[in-house]
Amino acid sequence: MMSHFLEWANNGLFLYYVTCNLVYLSLLLVAFYTSARHQRRLQSYRLDWIKSSPLSPPITVLAPAHNEQKSIRASVRSLLSLDYPQVEVIVINDGSNDGTLNELKEEFELRQMNALYIQEVKSAPVKALYRSVRDPRLLVIDKDSIGSKADAINAGLNAATSPYMCVVDADSVLEPDALLRIMVPVLSDPKQVIGAGGIVRVLNASGVKGGRLQQVLLPRKGIEVVQVVEYLRAFLIGREAWAQMNMLMIISGAFGVFRTDLVRAVGGYRADTVGEDIDLVTRLHRYLLERNQKYRIQFVPDPVCWTEVPSDLRSLARQRARWQKGLFDVLWRNRDMMFRRRYGRIGGFALPYLWLFELFAPVVEIGGIFTIALAAALGMLSREFFLQFLLFGYAFATVISIGSVLQEELTYKRYNDWKDVARLIGCCFLEHFPYRQMHMFWRLQGLWQYLRGDTSWKPLKRRGMESAGV
Amino acid sequence: MESIFRLIHKLGPAGIVLKAIFAALVADGLLLAFILLRRSYRKRYFAKRDARVFHFRAVWEQLISGKIPYLAWRGKIFDRRVVESLALDALEAAPPEGAARVLNFLRVSGLLQTRIYEARKYHGWQRRKALVALGQTRAAEGIAALGEGLRDNNAETRLAALRGLGRTGLPAAAEEILRWVGERGLVVPALPLENALMNCCRERPQLVPRYMAAAHGELRELLGRVLGEVATQTMDADLTEMAGDQAPEVRASAARALGNARPKSALPVLAEMVKDPVWFVRLRATVALGQLRTVRAISALLLALTDSHRLVRLRAAQALADQDEDSSVIFAAVAHTEDAYAIDAYITAAENAGIYGELLEKLRTGRSMEEERRRHLLDIASRKVAPGPGIHPGVSAEPDAVVS
Repeated sequence: MMSHFLEWANNGLFLYYVTCNLVYLSLLLVAFYTSARHQRRLQSYRLDWIKSSPLSPPITVLAPAHNEQKSIRASVRSLLSLDYPQVEVIVINDGSNDGTLNELKEEFELRQMNALYIQEVKSAPVKALYRSVRDPRLLVIDKDSIGSKADAINAGLNAATSPYMCVVDADSVLEPDALLRIMVPVLSDPKQVIGAGGIVRVLNASGVKGGRLQQVLLPRKGIEVVQVVEYLRAFLIGREAWAQMNMLMIISGAFGVFRTDLVRAVGGYRADTVGEDIDLVTRLHRYLLERNQKYRIQFVPDPVCWTEVPSDLRSLARQRARWQKGLFDVLWRNRDMMFRRRYGRIGGFALPYLWLFELFAPVVEIGGIFTIALAAALGMLSREFFLQFLLFGYAFATVISIGSVLQEELTYKRYNDWKDVARLIGCCFLEHFPYRQMHMFWRLQGLWQYLRGDTSWKPLKRRGMESAGV
Repeated sequence: MESIFRLIHKLGPAGIVLKAIFAALVADGLLLAFILLRRSYRKRYFAKRDARVFHFRAVWEQLISGKIPYLAWRGKIFDRRVVESLALDALEAAPPEGAARVLNFLRVSGLLQTRIYEARKYHGWQRRKALVALGQTRAAEGIAALGEGLRDNNAETRLAALRGLGRTGLPAAAEEILRWVGERGLVVPALPLENALMNCCRERPQLVPRYMAAAHGELRELLGRVLGEVATQTMDADLTEMAGDQAPEVRASAARALGNARPKSALPVLAEMVKDPVWFVRLRATVALGQLRTVRAISALLLALTDSHRLVRLRAAQALADQDEDSSVIFAAVAHTEDAYAIDAYITAAENAGIYGELLEKLRTGRSMEEERRRHLLDIASRKVAPGPGIHPGVSAEPDAVVS
């Protein structure tokens, strides 16, 4: 009985592994092709065309901030200096209990106003609205917090006046031309492209001054370098390829542009979920597919948002568990979209992929380790073959990781120092033990927490952007 | 059931699995080698390019005056590309006389001819690159080649040609584009087409109504939007006719044009347009009335301030707050509407425009109105009382009295 079970389990594991890697390999190849095409396109494109056009649509930048006292001045300054013809910046002070609001008042000479505020999408009560005397493009919303970033974005969405909105994290740094670049696909086909996401990169160790990135450096700590590789893999391979197939399911909450009317039409962000970014994109897909509309959600690899990632294991574990909870929540809520004709490629391919290879991955991997160990203990496993299989798995996974570093090298090449690239490549070989197993364990924890009904959002330890750098 | 591991093992572990390991390791090695080789190549390439840029910058005057024979550098593709990119940069930054000199250099050195040849004969990304560069030269002789690019089967190439034509900013390029859209219809996204036409029609906007007369549907609306940006005061008759068009989008563009160009008929036509049945036409007309910055537009703006559409009200309030007229007088007229939304919108706009404090001060100290009326208006402005029938006592400022 036991041996029968173990054989089934190991066969299943093998098939899962092969399918998963074939998908990754396909994504890598699609990403290489897409990225080469994008580079060629950029050669015959000038960002000045957007800058100089009176028809470039205004964008409202929404920056929710909760206890960002250390970095809020610099990040808002940086948002106001973004290179785009018409930008409105709305900072939502989401019930901060530090001096975030006072910092803003001091720096931007805020004056309270009795502006008309209509709650088109639901959010917690707004206490006051402030307009900057120094720069009238800046509006600050002071609101009660219900512990949800989505709720803060909704408050900003109610006050937004532009046809496009861009959500950024108040503790992130956007490159000056990020808005111009992210709008390239949108403006090339405004009827069909309803949203676009940019790339998020790791800020830790890079120099930031006055909210502007001064120097790009690879972080020193191993745990941060691993995350650099993970981000490169996720964005330059995963999102690039999924977007090319028009099946992009996530635009990072740290940096993305959407059509404001559509976000309002789907009821804004959902406050009772931990994965508000993937939730919004999934609901947009649902909304448009149900109405038989032709649309695209794009990924653009060159507008960069730099963000601080966790630099200790505890915070990283929390973050990854939270991501897993968010994914589970969204997939569960949208399970009715699976394999239904009206939801086309999203219901038939993208969502099943997320269930199988993202949500269940930790269950399968950790379960696989146990069954293989058990089979070995019962003498049912060819140790010689298992070792060969392990070696193949290791070498193959490294191909995908090095592929993402190569993508970076071929395209954007932000790490100029030889030593940085050498460390990145070294990390591609070393991340599989024991980081990968730990990562799977954290994700499993996330699943368990979600099943137990724990959807709380525990704060991560951050150093603040000015102190993150050298 | 036999284990898959064993099945594959039977096929020969040294066969499939070892081959797979070998393939994966080779792939790792190849990727690494590619990264290293590419880095070295790029390092050398950029060093060489920087050196050539530095060299040509140092001899720039001799270069464009022809003292350095063109054949000395034109034959080498690397040098030709460097010189061309320096010339195009210079063309961007130069004043008109300087630009003419650089353009002449591009002509006599043969660079322009080379680009025209490439734009005609090349395919794919090379053609697109040539088309964009050709547009950057702003040379009239490039228009024919760019026009051929517009008729390419590839959408990206058509876009590159369109942007190239737009970059020239020449009326002849506008005619080429307009002829092409007349033949093929809208086969490119609207925004790049609008931008290109706007750039090229600024000198001769009269071109647009001519083509608009023959256009239909989306294309007609697009041409209307272009005209909304480039129309001039002398196009009074065209704009008035457009304001009565059947298509709401065209009427909205007419309102935009009237606001931008400000011909004589602008005020009466726009005052009628704020009563249009379509909200975005009213919105455009309201914005345009605000652009006129005349006290005579206030009564029409007050009408817009009580509009059923929120955005129209907000824009009307903004336009009223931007008026040079005494804010307390305008506020009295706003209060007279007895429309809570209108009053709220005006107060918000006053706050955004930074005149709210000044308004309260004027209402506190104003001597030109009766005490009871002044106090009541102050209460409304401070949001102490809700606007409504209660504002009647003492409020006598008729909207029309404001604009007299």
